[in-house]
Amino acid sequence: MRWATRERIHIDRAACAWLIRRHIDPAPVFVFVADPGDVPADAIAFDIPGAELSHHGGDCSFETILRRYELDDPVLWRIAAIVHEADLDDQRYDAPEAPGIDMVLRGLSMIRDDQEILRLTAPVFDGMYEFCRRALLLGREPS
Amino acid sequence: MSGPQRRPGEWVLLTYRLPREPSTPRSAVWRKLRRLGVAQISDGLVALPAAARTREQLEWVAEEVTDAGGTAAIWLATPAARAEEERLTTVMAASRAAEYQALITAAAAAAGSTSDPVARAGIVRRLRNELRAIQRRDYFPPPDRDLAEEAVHTLADGPGEALAASRPDASQSRSPGPGESP
Repeated sequence: MRWATRERIHIDRAACAWLIRRHIDPAPVFVFVADPGDVPADAIAFDIPGAELSHHGGDCSFETILRRYELDDPVLWRIAAIVHEADLDDQRYDAPEAPGIDMVLRGLSMIRDDQEILRLTAPVFDGMYEFCRRALLLGREPS
Repeated sequence: MSGPQRRPGEWVLLTYRLPREPSTPRSAVWRKLRRLGVAQISDGLVALPAAARTREQLEWVAEEVTDAGGTAAIWLATPAARAEEERLTTVMAASRAAEYQALITAAAAAAGSTSDPVARAGIVRRLRNELRAIQRRDYFPPPDRDLAEEAVHTLADGPGEALAASRPDASQSRSPGPGESP
């Protein structure tokens, strides 16, 4: 399947792309567009104003995708809290990790293109997932 | 930045209209705009200096407005005259300066009234968060920015250290204050 989002990606779009690949479509092709009107007809748009899979009711796009695809894994919702705060910083969640990951993504966007950022951040999100999964199972911070 | 040839920069504008009732989405939108530190040009027209991030943030507010049954549009624009831009930057810097001053007042009040280190640490944490929130929406830093940082640092350092830091010759050495054991 083809998936389209705005170019010059940041935390929310990078996390959405990872989520799509891991939980929705194992062989996605990502297209980055400058203008919402440039989304190809056969592509599913995400994190683009006007798209179904974007910000709605105070949710960031990552949360919207979790809801639309009924992904109720609590580990993914913990990551959603971090992505939400890194993206919107509105104190809806307690996510002290957010400013750190926000800086990492903003820095990457200064030195790498969008496809490369997806490649580089996939293991970062995999690692965050594993960390949050163990923390949830243990009921405390994993070592 | 300030030569006579300097052209006004690019701004991202959000023009929006929301029904007066219900008032909840109206105030939610307004709270968001305040947190972003927008300059209000007129009723229903706000501006931020254009950048990928500011543009995106305003685009999401626009989306929220239309989701709530209002109308909104995003424009990229350049003020026709430098004076126009200076009016915006002056107002924005003054708004941030007022916020920094409120923070400085809060830090001074806490320094004067709280000697309990645990209570003080709690206040420091809150003020640091507040400082970070103001800095995120500070696009044209006024001098008060440094003063606010200093006020929070001083409070965090505690009474003895604060005294030492205020002595110009002692600012590097961090020697213990009077009556404090080394």
